[in-house]
Parts: sequence; C-alpha cells; structure tokens
Amino acid sequence: MDVEETKASHLSVVLDLSPAHWELSARDQPHNTHPLSLASFLSQLLAFLNAHIACRDENTLAVFGAFPKKSVMLYSSTEPPTNWVSSDTTGNAYPPFNAVDSTVVQRISAELERLESPEGEEVPPSALVGALTKALCYVNRISLPPNPNSKAQANGFHPGVLPDPRILILSVSPDLSTSYIPIMNSIFSAQKLKATIDVCQVYGHNSVFLQQAAHLTGGSYILLERRDALLQYLMMSFLPPPSIRKTLSVPTQDQVDFRAACFCHKKIVDIGFVCSVCLSIYCTPLPVCTTCRTKFPMKTLTRLKAAQPLLLGVAGGVMTNGGNKGTTTNGGR
Amino acid sequence: MPAITLHAAEEEHSPHSLIPFLHSQPQTLLTRLYQRPSACLSIFRLLAPLQQQIIMNLLWLEAAISSTTMSAWVVRDARKKVTSSTSYDTALSALFKLHILSTANLTKLVLNSTFKTSLRQALTGGGATGSFGVPAEPDDKHPPMSVEALDGYALERWETILHYMVSSGTGQGSIQPSKDVLFLLKQSGLMASGTNQITSEGFQFLLQSPHAQLWQLLLEYLRMAEARSMDLVEVLSFLFMLSTMELGREYSTAEGANAGTTSQAQMQTQKAMLADLRDYGLVWTRKSNVKRFHPTRLATTLTSTSPPLPSSAGPGAGPKEGFIVLETNYRVYAYTDNPLQTAVLNLFVSLKYRFPNLVVGSITRESVKKALASGISAEQIISYLIAHAHPQMRKNNPLLPVTVQDQIRLWELERNRLKSSEGYLYTDFSSEADYQLVLNYAKQMDLVIWESSAKRCFFASTEGHPRIKAFIERRTAEAGSADGYP
Repeated sequence: MDVEETKASHLSVVLDLSPAHWELSARDQPHNTHPLSLASFLSQLLAFLNAHIACRDENTLAVFGAFPKKSVMLYSSTEPPTNWVSSDTTGNAYPPFNAVDSTVVQRISAELERLESPEGEEVPPSALVGALTKALCYVNRISLPPNPNSKAQANGFHPGVLPDPRILILSVSPDLSTSYIPIMNSIFSAQKLKATIDVCQVYGHNSVFLQQAAHLTGGSYILLERRDALLQYLMMSFLPPPSIRKTLSVPTQDQVDFRAACFCHKKIVDIGFVCSVCLSIYCTPLPVCTTCRTKFPMKTLTRLKAAQPLLLGVAGGVMTNGGNKGTTTNGGR
Repeated sequence: MPAITLHAAEEEHSPHSLIPFLHSQPQTLLTRLYQRPSACLSIFRLLAPLQQQIIMNLLWLEAAISSTTMSAWVVRDARKKVTSSTSYDTALSALFKLHILSTANLTKLVLNSTFKTSLRQALTGGGATGSFGVPAEPDDKHPPMSVEALDGYALERWETILHYMVSSGTGQGSIQPSKDVLFLLKQSGLMASGTNQITSEGFQFLLQSPHAQLWQLLLEYLRMAEARSMDLVEVLSFLFMLSTMELGREYSTAEGANAGTTSQAQMQTQKAMLADLRDYGLVWTRKSNVKRFHPTRLATTLTSTSPPLPSSAGPGAGPKEGFIVLETNYRVYAYTDNPLQTAVLNLFVSLKYRFPNLVVGSITRESVKKALASGISAEQIISYLIAHAHPQMRKNNPLLPVTVQDQIRLWELERNRLKSSEGYLYTDFSSEADYQLVLNYAKQMDLVIWESSAKRCFFASTEGHPRIKAFIERRTAEAGSADGYP
C-alpha cells in the first residue's frame, strides 16, 4: 500500500527561450533592478529540476523549450537520450542529475546556435503555445495506462500509478493576443487531464492569459520581483506536488485579470459581445456569428448598437474600425 | 467517518524502516554520515514528502528562519486545522530527531550545516568526495555484464535465500545459502537457531514485498555490523552509494580507485561488505578481480519503490507482475513455474494440480488454519494475494472476491474465540446490596470484565484492583461492619 500513499509525480517544464527578451532581462537598466542572465537562470533551473528528481526515484520530468517560431522537447525521463554516455569518472555527481543537466544545456545551446544564422530584422515571438501543447500531449500520453505489450512497463512504469501531472511555465515574453484561443483550449484540456499549470513570469509584466491558466487549473502564479531569489521561489512555490500543497501553502493570486481577447481582431477587450450559442467573443455586435453562423435578431442588434457608445467610454475605444466584412475570415477558429 | 479515517491514514504513512534505526544513532555518527552527498540524497529520498518539502524550503537559505515565519506557510483551514498543523509538527520533530534540523535553538529553524552543504553538493554536482561511486576504467578483456545477466544473478541469489527458508519448514532439501546468510537469518529471528527451522516471523517475512524483505535483512546486517565492530558510517554510506549507482555499469572499489586517499579501515570495511553483499545478490564481482564490481537491481533500487527484482518468469513469458487468479469458489490459479512462488503459495493454499506454467489449488479452512498456526495473519495472506493478483483480476472491483476475503478473516477469528485477561474475582458478598454497590462502583470505573449476579460475583481487571479494594475497605470502615471481602 506504500505506493498509493506516496505517489510519484510528473513535472513538465515549459521554458520560454526568446533570445530577445532574455537579452533585455540580462541588461542592467534602471527599471530592471535585478538583472538575470539566461546562464544564471539555467543553473538555478537545473538545481530545481534535480530537486524534483531527488524527491522520489519514480518522479518523471519533461522539459520543453519555446524558441522563436519553434518548440522542442529538450528532455524526457521516460525516453532518456540513448546516445548519452556519462563522461563523469570521478563519482562526484548522481548520474541521473548529470544526464538531465548536460542534455538540457546541450540541446538549448544547439537550438540557440541554429537560431543565430537567419537573423532577421524582426524576431518572431516564441512558440510558447506550441510548447505548452506538446507538454499537454506528453502528459496525456503518460497518464494513459500503458499497453501491456509495450515496452513502457519494462522501465519500471506501473500501470495504475498515475503520476500527479503538473506543468510549470517559465515565461519571459509578454502576452500575444493572437494566442488567446489556443491558450484557452490548452487550459480546457489541462482541466480535463487534471493537470495543474503553474506559472512563473520571470521577466516583464503580468501575463493576463497565463494568469488565467494558473487560476483555472488550480496552480500558482508568480510575477517574479526579486529575480536574484529565483531558486528560492522555484523551490517553495513550484516544487511541492498537489498533495503537499494541502498542508504547506503556495502563493496564489488574490486578483486575476479575466479579460479575454476578441475572436475578430485578437484584441484584449474590457467589454465584449458573446454569441449566445457558441460563446465566441466579439468586440462589436455582429448580425451573424462568424464561428457558428447563428443569425441574431435585428432587435437585439439595434439595442446593443445603441448601447455601444455608452460602453465605448468604458472600453477605451477598442471598437474603432470593427467592420463586419473584415471579420469573417479571422473568426473561424 | 470512513472518509476521515482514510484521510488520516493518507497523512501519516509509516516512515521507512531505516528511519527509526537512524533515529537511534548518536548525533556525531549522523553528522559524519551527512558528509557524503550520496548519503544525504538517499536519506532525503526515504523521508516523507512533507519533510522533503520543508528541507527544500530551508536548503537554499543562508540564515536561520524563525519557526513562526515558517509555520505561517502551513495551511490553517478551519476544517482541517488540527490535521494539517499536527502533520507539520510531526514532520518537524522527525527532522529534529534525525538531526537534519539543528536543535541548537528551537525558535529558529536551520538545517544541519553538514547536511546542507552535502545535499546542495548532491543537487548541483561538483565537490571531490566521489561519493556516488567511481566508475571503473573499461576493461577490454572482460566486457561489462549485461543488465539481463545481472538481473539473473540477483534473482538467483535472492530466491536461493527465500527458497531455503520456505523448504526448511517442509523438510525438503534445497540449496543452502552461504554461512553468513544463514547466520544473518538466525540473528534476525527468521530462522530458529537450533533446528534450522523457519519461525513464524520467517513466514511473515516471506509474504512481504521484496523491497521490505531486503530492508529487513539489511537492517539486521547493520545491527550486526555494530557487533562486528565495523564502522557503521562506512557501512551505511556504502549502502547509500550503491543505491545511487547506475545499473549495468562497473565501479571500482575504494582500493582500486584511489588507494592513496582512502584509509586502511575503509578498505577493509568495503572489502568485507562486498563479500557479504555478493551473497545477498546486491553486487556482482568477478571472483578473480575484486577491485571492480557491478551493483545489481537489488542495490540500485534501495531507495526507490520500483520493483527490485525482475520478473521471475523468463523474459517474455507472461505478464511482468501478478500471476494469481482467485475465484469466488476459493479456487486459486497461479500462472507460474517458479518453485519459490509455488512454495510460498503452498503455505496457505492446498495445491491440487501442477502444470508446466500453471499451479491450481484452493483455499480451504485447513490450509488457512495451517498458515495461521505458523504465525501468518489473515491480513498478510490477503495483501499477498492483492500484491500478486493477475492483471485480469485488476479489472474486478474489489480486486479479490469479498466472500473469500471475509472467510479468511473469519477463519482467523475462529482462532481467537478465547480472550484472556488478568484480573481478580470478587466473591462471597454477604448481601445483594453490598454486591450491587461494589459492582456499580467498578462499572463506573469501567473495570468489570465479567459479572454474574446469580452467583453474586464479578471479575475485574488487575489495574482496578487497588481502587476496588480501597473502596471496599472504605465502605467497611464507614459501615463499621464486615461486609464483603475479595
């Protein structure tokens, strides 16, 4: 019965590795009181990852990296890199730690080097959503009871022992309003998988969407203020599995920004118009919902239009050129 | 109510069997042990999750933190106020007992500085202690053992021990394990020292999980190490080093690695331990060359809960775990041709047929009574059946047929129809009133075990005798006449 009482837990870490924002974070500027470079971030992160594996031998770990326009799985403990050979001959490090550390660092530097060559004038935003989706797919895969014929059991993976899945997002880039819908979809699938999403915004301002992700999945959200204490934040807030959080609390948010982005212009709106059938959000009243093609009665429309100038004052001029014709192509998500 | 008890059971899972042993050790010994990063890591793994989290919270702090600040993090939910704060307090006191938390000042929480340094080193790597085992140089003449061969070796060794224990009771001869193993089995009380017969503890031992068995033997080994005047720190840290090693790699002994830095005593201890652990199947060494060794799966899974032994059936033969099918008609089908598993089943099942890969038997009153008589409890039988249930059985809910479970428990209760308790019989009361008076007094104190008003006597527990006696004496003194005497 011991196995039931102290379950292994799974942690997927999603790293936002946008070079531009890490460069900003490392710079010693007046508004940036605690500069944090990528290198020192990684060394603290690796200590955190090691701590997760240290807690129990069965704890599983996966690391995903979100690079500009690309997301990569950097490490996964269920499929350890086959070509990895321990170079350590001194016996000063625990082999699994060594494997994680060297693999993650190697893969990140390889990916970053590959980025350098096609240096354009504008750096595309990092594929955080892609990495998050990959992490969810991975959680889904390991949560399924393994097929008795598959090799998964040979790795000491018990059926019926479901690792407590958690996803930790370490983000440095600001919200991308275009990623609202995919992030919301990820949140829903995380809820379905009973996965907790923890978020640590390492650099920049509060992220509206990630805040919601943490809130809706019961995770904790931290906007890192003292970046020199990153490791302590990681250990205290993101290491404990859900069972421990019942006893030792972790920081949660007292205020969550629940604003949504409209489906037509991908703008974050204070007041939106919601289709009563499919719950799509628009920044301006439409006669026909572009997602589900529901026609709204003229009467409602005129009433909403009449109320609009009143709302405009509150919304701060969001709906300036919201022509109905232009929205049909974008709203189909 | 059941929900609450379940919750409590979840919160307070029993600590690992090694922890109480460590509690009993003096602080100086533990501090010496904590100098090894591998030992710190292994001990950390054996702790309860809450204790681990407390250590992690404190690990990276340079200064001491006041205990009130720390306890502010404890959830004080109105509903669970009692349970959460108590489990937090027990976690803290357990850490104090292990001297992981410094006991110098109780209002401040601070980790033992040796432990802190070593665990930090374990997590970040570095240092020059070599405590995670020094891999041996590749040897061209002798290629390293494959994982399968190591598993086979470990399994063969371990099953020899267990099989010897099982068959000792039945009188059938089987391969004897080495003298040291026998001595260990006798020391731990699993085998009777005179007759070489298995004891009732031994039967209980057989039904435990391999992991628990392994630790029980190792704990006994540790106790023996003290008697053999081996350095306990060396023994423990060697075990912990083994547990952090990689399966399928070859390591060099202290002697082979750096003969300059290790002391003579250290080498002696390691040499002796390697020979012993070889007998238990924890390490494998080529006989001619004792400067290098392979840890087996038994050793590398010491601090985890993954199965320490590979499936006993050959590779690819049947499912990895679970081979027993139990039906509601008490029939047992065991898909195994392993003599050890058959022998263990034979302890509480009356076996009927034996096929190349299948053993059929049934659980009967006689077979269970036989098992109960040799000291096995009904719970142990049931938990063994649950632990080894065939994957097909896992579809059932509950796993085992309720009728069979209940019947096994009832058979156990049959043995316990007589309950003995010590006490005093109070008789010869002169009048009914006196009898009632004393009886009521005893009943109020909840001391009465049995009473008979027809015979005007009652039986009360031993602890209550002085009070009842005093009461009677007081009454007699008050009344001034002799009433009743016990």
